[in-house]
Amino acid sequence: MYQTKKLWTPLSTIARRALPTTCHLTPYSPNSQIRSSSSPLETSSRVSLPLHYGLGNLKFSAKGFCSQSAAKVDATTKRCWNCDAVAAGMVPFLYCDSCRSIQPVDFSVDYFQIFGLEKKYEIEVAGLEGKYKDWQKKLHPDLVHSKSEKEREYAAEQSARVIDAYRTLSKPLARAIYILRLEGVHVDEEQTVSDPELLTEIMEIREAVEEAMDSQALNQIESQMKEKLEGSSSSFANAYRSRNFDEAVTCIQRMTYYQRANEEILKKL
Amino acid sequence: MAEPAYTVASDSETTGEEKSSSAFPEIAIGVDIGTSQCSVAIWNGSQVELLKNTRNQKLMRSYVTFKDEIPSGGVSNQLSHEHELLSGAAIFNMKRLIGRVDTDPVVHASKNLPFLVQTLDIGVRPLIAALVNNVWRSTTPEEVLAIFLVELRVMAEGQLKWPIRNVVLSIPVSFSRFQLTRIYRACAMAGLHVLRLMPEPTAVALLYAQQQQQMIHDNMGSGSEKIALIFNMGAGYCDVAVTATAGGVSQIKALAGSATGGEDLLQNMMRHLLPDSENLFLGHGINEIKLMGLLRVATQDAIHKLSSQDNVQIDVDLGNGSRICRVVNREEFEEVNRNIFEKCESLIIQCLHDAKVEVDDLTDVIVVGGCSYIPKIRDLVKHVCKIEVYKGMNPLEAAVCGAALEAAVASGISDPFGSLDLLTIQATPLGIGIRANGDRFVPIIPGNTTMPARKELIFTTVNDNQTEVLIVVYEGETEKAEENHLLGYFKIMGIPPAPKGVPEINVCMDIDASNVLRVLAGVILPGSQQPAVPVMEVRMPTVDDGHGWCAEALHRSYGSTLDLVTVQKKV
Repeated sequence: MYQTKKLWTPLSTIARRALPTTCHLTPYSPNSQIRSSSSPLETSSRVSLPLHYGLGNLKFSAKGFCSQSAAKVDATTKRCWNCDAVAAGMVPFLYCDSCRSIQPVDFSVDYFQIFGLEKKYEIEVAGLEGKYKDWQKKLHPDLVHSKSEKEREYAAEQSARVIDAYRTLSKPLARAIYILRLEGVHVDEEQTVSDPELLTEIMEIREAVEEAMDSQALNQIESQMKEKLEGSSSSFANAYRSRNFDEAVTCIQRMTYYQRANEEILKKL
Repeated sequence: MAEPAYTVASDSETTGEEKSSSAFPEIAIGVDIGTSQCSVAIWNGSQVELLKNTRNQKLMRSYVTFKDEIPSGGVSNQLSHEHELLSGAAIFNMKRLIGRVDTDPVVHASKNLPFLVQTLDIGVRPLIAALVNNVWRSTTPEEVLAIFLVELRVMAEGQLKWPIRNVVLSIPVSFSRFQLTRIYRACAMAGLHVLRLMPEPTAVALLYAQQQQQMIHDNMGSGSEKIALIFNMGAGYCDVAVTATAGGVSQIKALAGSATGGEDLLQNMMRHLLPDSENLFLGHGINEIKLMGLLRVATQDAIHKLSSQDNVQIDVDLGNGSRICRVVNREEFEEVNRNIFEKCESLIIQCLHDAKVEVDDLTDVIVVGGCSYIPKIRDLVKHVCKIEVYKGMNPLEAAVCGAALEAAVASGISDPFGSLDLLTIQATPLGIGIRANGDRFVPIIPGNTTMPARKELIFTTVNDNQTEVLIVVYEGETEKAEENHLLGYFKIMGIPPAPKGVPEINVCMDIDASNVLRVLAGVILPGSQQPAVPVMEVRMPTVDDGHGWCAEALHRSYGSTLDLVTVQKKV
C-alpha cells in the first residue's frame, strides 16, 4: 500500500491563471512611462482558478456561517465595480442586475449561497441544474465576447466557480467534504486508514472485485457498494447535524473507499 | 486602461480573441462545411436565414476544381455534368483528409477517390493532387478549404453588402485539437477569423434549445428540462450528442463521434458491385479515373434511390468492356454496410452511457445530416432510443442554423423577443492526458468534461535519480497511448536526484474560455511546498505535420529512461 503522505501543493495554486492569448508590447517612447501591462495578470494570479483544487485555497473561520438563511451575508455593503449600483440583498452578488456586468469572484460567498440553499448536507440535487443554468446564462464567458478583458476574466472565474459549485454540491461525497471544509475541518482523502474494521472490509471488497468472474457478479458488488454509500451518507448527515466532526470524517473516509471500489468495478465492467 | 499600441499574436493557430472586441458588434456568419455539401447562414435581425448563391442554392457542393489557372469551387462554379466532378481535376471530401497523416485508415480509404491521394505510410501528411492538363498538381486540404471559404465569403459579402470577418464553424466531434488548428489555418488563409468552432451536434442542440424556448413563449411547451439525443450523420462523419436543455441553455452532457459516414456506405457499395475496384484504381491513369467516376456516380445514385424505394436497377458501362447491370435491393445495401450501422448504434449507446442518461429520460431524438434520409439509420436510432424522431428540423440545415445562432450570440447581438437568449455549455469531446505507466494513455481532463476546465494529476519517476521526464500529450479515448492523437511533447529538466517514486510531478491541464489548451508541469519534492524547478507552461498542440513518426522517434531515442507513472491511489 502506498504510504507516503501527500505534501504537494496543487500546481494550479503555483502556476496560476494562464497567460492571455496574446502578449502586449508597449512601443518604445522615451517620454512614456512603461505601463505595467501585466497588472491584470497579477491581480488574477492571486485568485487561482478555482476549478478543481480551488477549494484548498479557501480559508474559513471555524465558526462558519451557522444556520443563517442563505445569501443574505453582508450584501448591503456590495457595490457594482462598473455602475456602482448597490447589490440587491436577496441573491449573491455575482452579477449586477442594473448594468448586467459580471462581478469579481467573492470567496466569502459559499457554494450553498450561490445556489440559494441553506447550508446543510441533505439537499434537493434535482433543483440544482436549473439554478446552475440561470447563473451560466448570466456569467458564461461565451456571452461576454464584446466586453472588456477585465470582465471576461471575471466571467471565466465566476463561471468556473459556478461549475465547480454545481459539481461539488451534486455529488454526495464532494458535498460532504466541502461542507466540512466550511466548518474548518480539512479532510485528507489520501490519509491512510487506521480503523481495522474498515481495513478488513476494504480487503474483502477488493478480493471480491478481483475474483468476480462475470459482469453479473460485478453488478452485484456494485449495488452493494451503492447501498453502503447511501448508508454512510446518511450517517454523515447525522454526524454533521450533531456537529460530531470526527465521526463525520470517518463517514467520509468510508464513502471515499466505497466510491473508489465502484470506480474499479466500472472499469472492469 | 488604454489598449496597447501593438499586439503580437501568439505563435499558434488559435489567435485573435482580443481583436474582435471592437466598439460596435459585427455580426458573424455561421458556416457548415460538410464533406459533401456546405452552407452559410446568418441572423437577419429576427431569425436565421440561409444565404443562397447566384444559382439560388442554399446547399452547395463542397469541391474545388483546378481546371484552369484559377481554381473554382462549388459555390460559384456550375458543373455541366456530375462527371465533371470526377475527372481528376476536382478535389473534394477535404473534411475527411484535413489534419490526417498517411497512416490513418481514413486517408487510405480516400485513395480510391478520383484524384490523387498518395501515401508513404510513415506518418506524414499525404500528397494530394488534382489532374490539370495531364499533370498532377499538388495542393493541400487547407488550401482547398480556404479557396472554398473565400468563395463562401465573397458570396455572403455580395448579399450582405458589408465585409465578413468573423465566423462560427461547425466541426465533427471526432476532430482532434490538431485538426482544429488546420481548420483555423484554412480560415486564416481565407481571411476569416474564427469566433468559435462548435461540434456539429452541439450546433443542432442550440437550435433545439431555441425551439424549446420559442414553444414556451407560444405557451405550448413546459419550462422543465428536456433531454435530447442528437444523431448527425453526413458524408464524412457520424456524431452523437446528449444535451440537457432548459431556459435556452443547452448543456452538453456527452459527445461521441467517428469518421464514419455516407462515404463509407458508398465505398462499401462500390466494392460490392465491383469487387476488385480498389486494385483497379491504384494506377490512377486517366481511364481508371473515368471508370472510378462512372462507378461512383452510379452507386451514389442507387443509394439515394434506395432511401425511397425497395430496389433499384443499376446499369453502368465502365467503358473497358465491363458492364455492371443488376438489381440491388435495400436488404442487400443494409447487409453490405452492416458494420457501419453497427458502429452508429454503438456510438449512440456509448453517448447515452457517458451522459448517464437512460433511454426513458429522453424527451426527443433528433436525426439530422444527409444520411438521416436512409431508412435503416432512422430505424436504428428509433430502435435504440425507443421514441419517434423529432420532426421540427430540416435535417440538412439544422447544423448551419445552430452555428448562425451561436455566431449571433458570440457577436454580442441581442434580440428584443429573447430569441437569442441562448447559451451552449460545451463539454470536451475527447479526453486529454499524457503517456505514462509504460505506453498507457492517462487522461487528465477526461472526455465529456464541462468547459472551461482545469484538472491535475500527480505522477512520479520510474528510475532512481531520474533528472528528466518526458511529457507526451495525447488526446483521445483509447488506452494505448499511440492510438490517440498526439498533441505535443516537452521535457521537465533538472529534477533533483531522488529515488524513483519520490519526486512528485504535477501535470495540470487547463482549457480556458476560448478553448485554448495549456499544459502545466512542475516538480515538487516531499516536504516542500514550492516547485523544485520553474514550472513549464506549454500551449498545445505543438506538433506540426510529422506527428505520426515523432512519437516513434521519441521512443527510439529515449526508451523508458524519461518515463513516468501515476501515483497510485489506495485500494
